[in-house]
Amino acid sequence: MSYLVASVAGVAFFVLSVALLGVWPARVLDEQTAAMAPDNPLPLTRSEQRGRTVYAREGCAYCHTQQVRYLAADVRRFGPATLAWESRLDVPHLMGTRRIGPDLSRESGVRTADWQFLHLFDPRAMVPDSVMPPYRALFDGAPDRPRQDARDLVAYLESLGRAREIAGPEGEAAARAGCDCPDDRMAELALAAPPPTATPARPRRGDPVPTLDGNADGARGQLLYDRACASCHGPLGQGDGPAAPWLRPPPANLAEHEYTLARLADALWNGVSGTSMQAWRDHPVDDLASLAALVRSFQLERRETTLPDSMLETGRRVYEANCLQCHGPDGGGDGAAAAELAIAPTNFRLQRPSIARSVQAVREGVDGTRMAPWTSRLTEEEIVAAARFVRQFFIRDAAAREGAP
Amino acid sequence: MTHVETRLVYAHGLAALATLLVAVSFGIVVSLQLLLPDLGADVPWLSWGRLRYAHTQGIMLGWLGNAFLAFLYHAVPILTGRRVTSVRLGQWLFGLWNLAAVVPGWILVLAGVSQPLEWAEFPPAVDLVIVVALVLAAVQFLPPFFARGLEYLYVSSWYVIGALVFTLLAYPMGNLVPEVVPGAQGAAFSGLWIHDAVGLFVTPLALAILYFVIPASTGRPIYSHFLSMLGFWLLFFVYPLNGTHHYVFSVIPMEAQATAIAASTVLGIDVVIVVANLLLSLRGAGIIPREPGLRFVAASTVFYLLVSVQGSVQAQMAVNQAVHFSDWVIGHSHLAMLGFATFAAAGGLVHAWQRIPWARYNARAIDWAFWLLLVGVVMMVSALTVAGLVEARLWQSDAPWLDSVRAARPLWVHRSLSAVPIVAGFLTLLAGLTTGPRGGGLTALGLGKEAGDPPEVAARIAVPAGQAS
Repeated sequence: MSYLVASVAGVAFFVLSVALLGVWPARVLDEQTAAMAPDNPLPLTRSEQRGRTVYAREGCAYCHTQQVRYLAADVRRFGPATLAWESRLDVPHLMGTRRIGPDLSRESGVRTADWQFLHLFDPRAMVPDSVMPPYRALFDGAPDRPRQDARDLVAYLESLGRAREIAGPEGEAAARAGCDCPDDRMAELALAAPPPTATPARPRRGDPVPTLDGNADGARGQLLYDRACASCHGPLGQGDGPAAPWLRPPPANLAEHEYTLARLADALWNGVSGTSMQAWRDHPVDDLASLAALVRSFQLERRETTLPDSMLETGRRVYEANCLQCHGPDGGGDGAAAAELAIAPTNFRLQRPSIARSVQAVREGVDGTRMAPWTSRLTEEEIVAAARFVRQFFIRDAAAREGAP
Repeated sequence: MTHVETRLVYAHGLAALATLLVAVSFGIVVSLQLLLPDLGADVPWLSWGRLRYAHTQGIMLGWLGNAFLAFLYHAVPILTGRRVTSVRLGQWLFGLWNLAAVVPGWILVLAGVSQPLEWAEFPPAVDLVIVVALVLAAVQFLPPFFARGLEYLYVSSWYVIGALVFTLLAYPMGNLVPEVVPGAQGAAFSGLWIHDAVGLFVTPLALAILYFVIPASTGRPIYSHFLSMLGFWLLFFVYPLNGTHHYVFSVIPMEAQATAIAASTVLGIDVVIVVANLLLSLRGAGIIPREPGLRFVAASTVFYLLVSVQGSVQAQMAVNQAVHFSDWVIGHSHLAMLGFATFAAAGGLVHAWQRIPWARYNARAIDWAFWLLLVGVVMMVSALTVAGLVEARLWQSDAPWLDSVRAARPLWVHRSLSAVPIVAGFLTLLAGLTTGPRGGGLTALGLGKEAGDPPEVAARIAVPAGQAS
């Protein structure tokens, strides 16, 4: 009897389970990988490999998963469902079994390095309600002094989802063709729109934005702002939140600008590509409307003198000679050079800086962008003239004017 | 007559309680760090992830591993009428397990040398030591079952043999295969191990305890030999096929997932059969037995039913899609390990301790320990289960991710508060087994010094019904 127990219960059933639920699925996954993977897999760099080791040893996989499940709720939040080939270089896998934080499969391209370093050093400086541990030992005393481990870890995080992104639409089409998908629903969740780069937080340019003229709830707007925006933009929108010193370009000083509703909608819905301002599509549109209303209420009243004609002329002359290439002939941020820039030049038709802010930007430049200080090229008089000139481009939309200061 | 190596029972029992207190401390710090995330911020070896690894491995290998080994030293000689293989081997096994595996494993994991694999976090170097130790355990405990002349095997014996052989194969599979097989392919093997660790290592040894202690304490045979046999074979057939239920809705082929879900459902039915058999065997002893070892065991039986039915339910796709990745799963794992397994292990330890004539035994403390632990586990599991449901609902909605973290916070406070009765319970259990009069257990059972030599005592009072002597 004991031999029977040992051999059948102990050995045979073990072998059966390994064959049925280990070896056989692995075979199927290998076939799927061979059929659907892009031709030239991009391996991780040495730094990214080291970063992966840091991720593994710190237990990151026990709060963050790396598998987007074949479920609408997952796909809505995290992007297309994970295909078999996407983890084929992951040894050991980091698929994860618990989500305290969000899934990270499609993290590539969502955050700037500045954001990642600050978030690792002091998560609550960036996300006040986060429960993520701080990883200060990976740094040399400050978020902008990462040690090798931190650089490697951020490099690794930046690689998550990259392979699928690089495969592009051709890769998606090839995967579709190669898929022996028994279940159309699964193919839909993994391969149909939205594309792998469409995760809710990822900044993008030019997507159509919803109008935010819905019901704005003041209290809700304040609550959302404190939770999600104040850490960068500061409690009154003056760009002085705890995260601000560590981000280049720094968070915008919202109080020093007048914004159209369309401009705010674009910033919230698309993020600001090239900066740490993410897209906030994980919030319902009504919430974004409340936020937009709150942001507009931050604008500081300024008394202004009228712009004299001579200054207008000087400003126009300076603008056409120096600013047009980026900011466009009508200040729409659509100059010839604009397409080359990682961070879009300011569109003055949609946002109007205060005089002080405008002069400061021309004089000092905008740190972290291609807007350089102009003091070496322009006289003080020219700087002030140009700075005041660009404020003429602003178009207040009729509906947006309502309720704005 | 049978001879129980009481010194090895004792050594493993103390090691079990010592490692338990350490592992529980890790768990408490981890739970507090979710409420005060800057706790231990500048100290790498106090970081959440590393402590979490040390907690789960400490509980499985330190507390349960030692407690089961202690019980095996008590039960195998009684079940077989023969001694275990060798005392010297036992000393090596003890040293290897605790001083070459558990303690170095903790040190390495906290130093950042680990594997990010569920239930397999100790690094490969320690895994190799454990495999050697499992071989030694097989050499120590299996030969008595295989020696000539043993025609009749009691159900506990099957579970012991099955557990030792299966785990010897499953442990290296779970710990080493995902290091060479990448991605989702490797995850299939991880899923198998996650379930094998709980289902083919912990569960059979816990069931061996339940099936042993109940008739030994009540003095009556188990309700049905047939149901024991049915339960055993069904468990060993179906449990290993559950593994992929840890990866439902992943890219692992749907047929494998469906097999695992079906197996999980059948498993629930199997547990109902097993628990019915055990509860019917308890009839007459009351819903809360007076005898403490039996009381732990009775509670363990009920926990087993709850956690297994819960498991069958959460494997179903409709439920899984909502609660997977949430605190519900943490509640489930604690209902299994802190409820079912810990109460079985405690029951086995108490039972064995009572029958060591020179061991201290404090009946009152053990009484307290039971109630404190019961309150603690109910508090903890209920908080986590509710947290899981709250998180699940928020994740299905349009709310931003952090809303689920914010909503779980008050429930995490409740969960951390459960540490108070749990730690008190474990400390009281330790007190119960290290303070009080020597031989207090025998006195509690109504047997005094006149009962005779230790080996004879052990044999006489713990003969399971139906066992040929």
